Amino acid sequence: MQVYVFRNNTIESFFSHDYSFSGYNDISVIPQEAMRYVWCYQLPIEANACRVAQMIEQYEKNLDYVLNRISESKLLIAFTIENRWCLKYVEADDRLSKAINHYNDFLYDKCGTNKNLKIIDIAEFSTSYSIEQLIDWKYFFAYQVPYNPKLAKDFQIWFERKISQIDLQRKKCLVLDLDNTIWSGIVEEDGMEGIVCSGDYPGNVFHLWQEMLLELSKKGVMLVICSKNDEQEIMQLFEKNPNLVLRKEHFVAWRINWNDKVSNIKQLAKDLNIGLESMVFVDDNPTEREWVKQQLPQVEVPDFPQYAYLIPDFGRQIIEKYFSVYQLTDEDLLKTKQYKDNVVRQQELTKFKDFGDYLRSLNFHLTIERANEYSVSRIAQMTQKTNQFNLTTHRFSESDIKQFIAQGWYIYTLAVADKFGDSGITGCMIIKPNYEIDTMLLSCRILGKGIEKAFFCYVMNQLQESENITAVYVPTEKNKQVENFYESVGMELYETKDGIKYYRNAKKMQLEISDIYSIN
Amino acid sequence: MEKKILEILSSVLGVQVDETCSQANCAKWNSINQLNIVVELEMEFNISLEPEEIGEMKSYNDIIRILKTKQ
Repeated sequence: MQVYVFRNNTIESFFSHDYSFSGYNDISVIPQEAMRYVWCYQLPIEANACRVAQMIEQYEKNLDYVLNRISESKLLIAFTIENRWCLKYVEADDRLSKAINHYNDFLYDKCGTNKNLKIIDIAEFSTSYSIEQLIDWKYFFAYQVPYNPKLAKDFQIWFERKISQIDLQRKKCLVLDLDNTIWSGIVEEDGMEGIVCSGDYPGNVFHLWQEMLLELSKKGVMLVICSKNDEQEIMQLFEKNPNLVLRKEHFVAWRINWNDKVSNIKQLAKDLNIGLESMVFVDDNPTEREWVKQQLPQVEVPDFPQYAYLIPDFGRQIIEKYFSVYQLTDEDLLKTKQYKDNVVRQQELTKFKDFGDYLRSLNFHLTIERANEYSVSRIAQMTQKTNQFNLTTHRFSESDIKQFIAQGWYIYTLAVADKFGDSGITGCMIIKPNYEIDTMLLSCRILGKGIEKAFFCYVMNQLQESENITAVYVPTEKNKQVENFYESVGMELYETKDGIKYYRNAKKMQLEISDIYSIN
Repeated sequence: MEKKILEILSSVLGVQVDETCSQANCAKWNSINQLNIVVELEMEFNISLEPEEIGEMKSYNDIIRILKTKQ
């Protein structure tokens, strides 16, 4: 059983065919074999508001009861209740709205203590409809369907998107054109001072749009520029034009030249070590969009609005569709800073005699720890997002990781700091109780410094029975750079089958770790 | 219209059906699928079916009969 839904009315047609459903208001059965749970209770319609309030209070208790009886490693996704149609005989009677607010507050409060509870606000779906569109009374009373079943397909699309936010599948990078995309005007024609992004319309629109983009970058989305312009002129403009919200430092990279945008985007993906499928391309020019769409089908290319006043709502839509995430991890917030830090490191590199000398000067400090409740969401996120330095590319959810921990798997995280900053958790190893290495991955941000070997060796030295270690390398389109990683740390390759390489280790490992790194 | 109705039935019920199809001989035709069939019919033919009519729709032939009164 994949998903089990607790409910108080007829909602089957709003969810995927393979979901299973409880009886109405029924919590007597809590199937333990379900992979995750949904809690979808909506406002009952009754003549007596007091009674409805009492029922809602009861839902609260029921949810608590269910929450205490499902495994902590499995998600329960609960919908809020909203008050779209209620009978009010006395205008000042607020008992029902209080009960609803109490219920919703209760849900959000519960999230603090129960990490496996996630909330979806139903109002986010329903507010786009009038009450007549939202409820079809015939279906409501004949079938107890809370919302018009003709909205079921729209609901499913929305719900799937919410689920993928919870499962951390957002895009990483927003590729932006400049002229008439983040400001009004064309630098080549209107001059550096001639572009508009403040003041009255359309300046106010572009101002707001830039502020939205700035917020996105603070939330860990990488902003990059891909524009046909003169690079020096644009850099000057970013320094001198006082009206811009976005500045040079808010972009992690740029390609400002007269080359074809397709090759520029490919190059950007390469520089940032990310896949094309994590990019969204925004450009006001339909020809450029079409070209990118055709040549790079992996890149998302939304249609840009024809009128400036539609841009903020366009912005809201792309944020919701591509960049929204259920909750941010600390690493997301650090990300833009980290990519900047990398640039500073590149510059330092030129001053030293040799590479070891350079590495030593960076004062690397590695923190390697067993996974804990604070790192679980980051571990899941890394398994979802890491493609290049990833030996097996197994994707896991937060609840998978929790289950592994409960089953005694050895899961280690790696955090890296140096004199320029703290990368946070940027690597993990997941080892099964039988000493098979299930996952070994590192974020590409910290590659190229020998850290991967230090990490591997340290973890091996921690394990009591490292002579029984086995490992595999599973090739994908993206992880070729690690195909010989296990050889490089001294594992024995004993079989290759269908491209998959199998390793074992016959002797107790006591591995030397370079003095470049301090570890705790 | 007949062809379209068979298409809707087949797609909602997830099995290929013919004119003999009814609740009695098709296990997939449960109350939830009844609801789904009605939603599809209403959208396809731009009509509104009353709960009493829906209650009578127990077979392909019932659907044909009731839809004909709507035209």
